[in-house]
Amino acid sequence: MMYDLIIIGGGPAGITAGIYAARKKLKTLLITKEWGGQIIEASDIQNWPGEKSISGINLMNKMVEHLKEYEIEMKEGKEAIDLEKKNNNFIVRDNDEEYETKTVIIATGKIPRALNIPGEEKFKGKGVSFCSTCDAPMFKDKEVAVIGGGNAGFDAALDLTKYAKKIYILEFLEETRGDSATKEKLEKTGRVEIYTNVAVKEIRGDKFVKSLIYENRDTGKDTETKIQGVFVVIGMMPKAGFAEGLVEFNEIGEIKVDRDNNTKTKGIFAAGDITDVKYEQIVIAASEGAKAALTVSDYLKTK
Amino acid sequence: MIKVFSTPTCPYCVTLKEFFKEHNIEFEDIDVSQDEKARDEMVEKSGQMGVPVVDINGEIVVGFDKEKISQLLKITE
Repeated sequence: MMYDLIIIGGGPAGITAGIYAARKKLKTLLITKEWGGQIIEASDIQNWPGEKSISGINLMNKMVEHLKEYEIEMKEGKEAIDLEKKNNNFIVRDNDEEYETKTVIIATGKIPRALNIPGEEKFKGKGVSFCSTCDAPMFKDKEVAVIGGGNAGFDAALDLTKYAKKIYILEFLEETRGDSATKEKLEKTGRVEIYTNVAVKEIRGDKFVKSLIYENRDTGKDTETKIQGVFVVIGMMPKAGFAEGLVEFNEIGEIKVDRDNNTKTKGIFAAGDITDVKYEQIVIAASEGAKAALTVSDYLKTK
Repeated sequence: MIKVFSTPTCPYCVTLKEFFKEHNIEFEDIDVSQDEKARDEMVEKSGQMGVPVVDINGEIVVGFDKEKISQLLKITE
């Protein structure tokens, strides 16, 4: 069986592409590990037209419900692991099947960036967390470290001030980049200590996290600090390794697209936060998804 | 007996509970941000310090693992 279009990713870009593709009567398959992507963690969205205030979960549910009104095939809980060219078409492989298609829209978005240091993977869920909104309450009266001194790191620290008795913020650069107003708020609690120009090297523990080792980048001296939690908040990274060779990445791993969502390979398109399009906003990801689907529709007519 | 250990602010917990409701599955909702004893119980049972954790008749599932939960509860979609 041959699809007209396979959409990889179920966030705002992928869902909107799905709606547009279905309305154009394209034979479409959407593959996604989970619905919503990054918006799931947004507690209050106030810039989606038509919704003055809505949680990420509710907005996502509405989008998915809308998509399911249409005739479109979906594989949920599956991840695209490989994409290759076959004659003029493409083969997309997920965890257990492969599909053939005339075109592909990559809309896999971004995931939290990892430190890639010893102990990080091993202690994930055992003290290491990427979601302070989720896990902050687990650290009541405990000592924790937040890695990353940007706005997101400060927000995570602020979440944690409600529970943890001591919070260390560790920033790699010489200065933190988060809002000074938030910084003041954090410092006022008397329980937050900020260290800059430090590189986190290792997370140690037994069943759970017990300590963290960081290096002072000036002196090269290592320090081991006893903590029970580590929140990694060092930004987001794109994830499209499966498309390597067929698309061009910029220096931070985003897929380069032109203004009609074309990648360097004819028939492969990309939309949303996975691309090098400026501004990462739900409404922008959605409109990029729409654009990509319309471009696909035009492309198929010429094929 | 199904227990969901969660926090009010955790998005995946909300998704998980919605999923149970959608399939008319009854569960006990335990807010570990309020209930310290339950939090300790959860950490001990699951070896995890992250939510959500689900206890399905003694079988522990960490995170919103839809496939595993569906399998344990014989949910087909």
